[in-house]
Amino acid sequence: MKLLKSFVSITFPLVVMLFMFSIYLVVTKVVDNYQKNITNDYAILAVTNTPLSAIKNIAGIAVKEIEPLSRDGIIKNVQQNLSDTSVDLLEKKLPYFYKIYLEEFPTSLTLEKIRKELSLISNIKKVETFSNDHNKLYSLLVLVQNIIFILFSAVLLLSILLLSKQIKIWFFEHNERISIIQLHGGSLLYSSKPILKIILGSAIFSSILSSVLLFVVISNIHIVITPEIISLIPTTLSMEMEMLQIFLLAILIPSITFFGLLVKYKLQ
Amino acid sequence: MILAKNLTLSYDKRKNIIEDANFRIKEKDFIFISGSSGCGKSTLLKSFYGELAISKGNLFVNKYDLTKKKYSKLLSLRKDLGIVFQDYKLIQEYTIEENIMLPLKVHNYADDVSKAQVKKLLKHVRLGHKIGAYPAELSGGEQQRVAVARALAHNPTIIFADEPTGNLDDYSSDMIWTLLKNANEHLGITIVVVTHRIPTGMGIKYRRFNIEEGVVYEAS
Repeated sequence: MKLLKSFVSITFPLVVMLFMFSIYLVVTKVVDNYQKNITNDYAILAVTNTPLSAIKNIAGIAVKEIEPLSRDGIIKNVQQNLSDTSVDLLEKKLPYFYKIYLEEFPTSLTLEKIRKELSLISNIKKVETFSNDHNKLYSLLVLVQNIIFILFSAVLLLSILLLSKQIKIWFFEHNERISIIQLHGGSLLYSSKPILKIILGSAIFSSILSSVLLFVVISNIHIVITPEIISLIPTTLSMEMEMLQIFLLAILIPSITFFGLLVKYKLQ
Repeated sequence: MILAKNLTLSYDKRKNIIEDANFRIKEKDFIFISGSSGCGKSTLLKSFYGELAISKGNLFVNKYDLTKKKYSKLLSLRKDLGIVFQDYKLIQEYTIEENIMLPLKVHNYADDVSKAQVKKLLKHVRLGHKIGAYPAELSGGEQQRVAVARALAHNPTIIFADEPTGNLDDYSSDMIWTLLKNANEHLGITIVVVTHRIPTGMGIKYRRFNIEEGVVYEAS
């Protein structure tokens, strides 16, 4: 009975923490997927006097591609109304136009940095970042992602506190056994083997339960969220990597809590 | 084996329980530590297995300097000792077999070796039929026999016993003394016993340390 009580008391905070973590992972995946889509469509326009030399990154974001816009097209559009001399002059005076594609979709703040950095390059005359059209939905998704991360951090902290409390209770309940084992030369780690086994069992059970919960949520996601948002979710939402992350977190957090307490007791 | 040099023990700085004790306990000795209640017999014994820190002086047990507070070394020392308590200190959640197995498990003996040793010891203490029982199902005398079996399990160099017969009737007491005497005579284990009632007529060849007002001296 005591064993079951300890198991449940350790499993409960772990499941809550892991479920929160799995929600964070899903949201991150959605945001990443959406970001990938909009990054492909998004480009910054730069106007230069002379041909633009290669730029590797701007404001910490790697440049994916710099695509020059054809000047011939622009000249062709206006040449019917101009004399040959004017066309020649236009060809000489017409600036160069470039579309700069980035590897990541920038935030509104980064856009401002990008604009400033590009303006510092001497031959760039004008930069258009299209900040007014900058994706509002993306900002909203990032906000949601950040909120969930903050919530997850709070739950994580609370779970660690609950876990350490539970481990401390176990040590208190088994104080006599621990002292008898230590009198016979058994280390603190040896005498706390039973709680370590409970922790590992709980961790494995919690990670399986959380993965199942995550799978159920993903399978029934249309019930939870609106069709507009569903369209943002990748069609193949494979979660193998995420399940591995959940498993690792399930093992890591209680283990760190346990060994942290062990070190504390040892120092005492 | 055990060497005390100007050993002083205290629970707080105001009063010393043991003061400036100097003595040597040799291999295969059978030692009784006696004295009136509260004179510091158990305190002295506790210091032998590192349960109590040394206030002043030096204490060596099996060449291990107990003034050095190294936890891992202390555990290795304890692995080489057997300890018997007045209140038995058996683990209530463990069966008798598991209790006796404890020092063997700490020593990482294989399961089959440990089980064979437990069977042999239980037969020796005449409790072979109680192998699967829990301590609560045993009488005081039986529990103390289990405690002695546990102390003998890993063939220690020294057995410390704190009032091992304090709670027992004469029959059980005699049995415990016989077990300790045999361990000393046949296995060559050094025995250090704290008691206020030294057994007579058991034929034990012993040395006796007496404690009076914090002074430890060897009584003839």
